[in-house]
Amino acid sequence: MQQLRYIWFIAAKDLKIFTHDRLALAFALLFPFLFVIIFNMLLGSATNNDTRLQLHLVTREQEGLSCQIINALETKDEALLLPGEPVIIWDKDYTAAYNAVENKKLAGFLAFPENFTANITQGKATQLKVITTSDATYIRAALSGLAQHIVSKINSQNIILEATQELLVENPESGDWQQILSSVLADSNAAISTESIITYHVEKIGDMEQENPSNYVIPGYLVMFVFFTAALSAESIVRERQNNTLERLLATTVKRESLLAGIYFGIAAKGLIQILIFWGVGLLVFRIDVGQSPAAIIILSLLMVIMSSAFAVMLATLVKTQRSAGSIAVLTSLVLAPLGGCWWPLFITPRWMQFLAKVTPHGWATTAFNKLMLFGGDFQSVIPEIIALACFALAFGLIAILRFRTSAV
Amino acid sequence: MTEPFLVVNDLHRSFNDYKAVNGVSFTINKGEIFGLLGPNGAGKTTTIRMLSTVLPPDRGDIVIGGYSVRNNTDSIRRLIGVCPQELALYADLSAFDNLMFFGRMEGLSSQEARAQAMSNLEFVGLTDRAKKGRVDKFSGGMKRRVNLAIALMGNPQLLFLDEPTVGIDPQSRNNIYETIEMLRDRGMTILYTTHYMEEADRLCNRIAIMDAGIIIALDTPYNLKSKLGPPEKVNLEDVFLNMTGRSLRD
Ligand SMILES: Nc1ncnc2c1ncn2[C@@H]1O[C@H](COP(=O)(O)OP(=O)(O)OP(=O)(O)O)[C@@H](O)[C@H]1O
Ligand SMILES: [Mg+2]
Repeated sequence: MQQLRYIWFIAAKDLKIFTHDRLALAFALLFPFLFVIIFNMLLGSATNNDTRLQLHLVTREQEGLSCQIINALETKDEALLLPGEPVIIWDKDYTAAYNAVENKKLAGFLAFPENFTANITQGKATQLKVITTSDATYIRAALSGLAQHIVSKINSQNIILEATQELLVENPESGDWQQILSSVLADSNAAISTESIITYHVEKIGDMEQENPSNYVIPGYLVMFVFFTAALSAESIVRERQNNTLERLLATTVKRESLLAGIYFGIAAKGLIQILIFWGVGLLVFRIDVGQSPAAIIILSLLMVIMSSAFAVMLATLVKTQRSAGSIAVLTSLVLAPLGGCWWPLFITPRWMQFLAKVTPHGWATTAFNKLMLFGGDFQSVIPEIIALACFALAFGLIAILRFRTSAV
Repeated sequence: MTEPFLVVNDLHRSFNDYKAVNGVSFTINKGEIFGLLGPNGAGKTTTIRMLSTVLPPDRGDIVIGGYSVRNNTDSIRRLIGVCPQELALYADLSAFDNLMFFGRMEGLSSQEARAQAMSNLEFVGLTDRAKKGRVDKFSGGMKRRVNLAIALMGNPQLLFLDEPTVGIDPQSRNNIYETIEMLRDRGMTILYTTHYMEEADRLCNRIAIMDAGIIIALDTPYNLKSKLGPPEKVNLEDVFLNMTGRSLRD
């Protein structure tokens, strides 16, 4: 019991010293957001050069249902669009549009086939096409979403010819299609009936949808800075060893184990504060989406803190001087962060880099956060990453416990 | 005065192949101020580190207050206070916070720690600066006095003072003497090392002179001086140089 209190006193003392150090405080808590903001701006401008997304639609019919649909969707007056709504452009010439994509003049378009109206009216299968350049992931996602909605709207309403025409011919200007459009980007998983008469096809499909860049920038910098701040604490452990306070503490009634635990929890407490701030600011300011398993996010964040704190103590036990502790902390943090996907998403890197990332705890952590926050993964899907991080923590912790000394000799 | 509080028997400690302490034995009686003198590198600090349970001896035994260092370090740690030769404080905290922290680590309640911190800081004349500013903004003398005040937290029965007056002005040194005399008057047992011979002469009941890891003389200052001539005329420095030689150490 008394030893537990000692652990708390030591951790509290370290936190107190930490809060007295304005620079360290700023580094741990404010600095990361500077990066987040800068990267958000960079990525934001890289993905939407035009602030408004432009979606091009083409039909190979001269007249008919597809023309009416496009006519209804087409943006007549850009000034009336709400913020975030895309501009819909009706390209009249399929071949011209196709060539433009081939020549990379156009990112992509959605095409209705020649016999669209005929097939629909006869209940025959027909197919919409999304044609994009291979790197236009954002456009591809938006067009696919739009196609999917057109398909599901027509299918789910079980349209027979009359109904379709009633719906579209009688009120071509009705809000219905506008509504479909506005929900396009929000929900791309609308159910498609198994007996679809219309399907759609995406050419050159990729696997990445860029939404809010914060959804991977924030976890990336969380991983980097939790680790960085913890690793830098190794320096203060070495300082305590060198300025004899650790040895002095050993001569009080605190046990060696409690001393070690106190130091450990002092570092972990900083990490806890960091993750609280990270997720708080992320949710409130950057509007990130934590996905369907907040529990997994919490467990992964805690594991990052546990693992990083163990790394810090281990580092302190491996080096002799404060300076080497500091430089190794900076070096490992700055090397492991990009390797582990903290600066850019791992899934856009070449395979060898993805492989290399597996030797870093950062790589496992960012992969898990990406799964949860970008790809709709659930708790189950990140169990391997949770286990991997726990193993890193265990390995670092064991070395730290075995090698921990209160003095140089 | 004759009841031994600390018994050291045939203490050895090497670093790599170097024998820093090579068979040291002595006892310190309750309420006594025991001086451990010796040139640089004699093994004084190494001895104190072993006595204060932070460095395990290679060989030999230490018994403090009836507890052996071999199997009862916890009980010993409750009895001792250590003022290390190198300053051991938290530079980023105030003097008061330093004392509070070490007090709590000695198992004091928050109230006890606060009371002791205030009275110890008063002993060493730092009441005014107790909560003002971080310790690393203090002068060398003030840091030394904080270092000593920390050692007093938890009211130890046996105090190890490893060169508490090194590198400070006569005023600060005098303050530390007075503190030590006051502690002696309260019945505290003290092991004291210093390179100032007149200090040892003034404070210590008995003195051990150590050189190259062994004790070469152990007696009262008076008796040590009488070996060279009439004690009133001889000073301890002469005795020291006579016994340890004039060649440089380390
Ligand atoms: N951790 C250590 N590693 C290696 N050698 C050491 C270590 N500690 C002490 N020594 C050596 O042991 C010898 C005794 O050192 P110690 O510090 O005990 O001397 P001292 O009597 O306290 O000297 P001083 O008066 O200078 O403080 C010295 O030669 C020193 O170099
Ligand atoms: Mg010494």
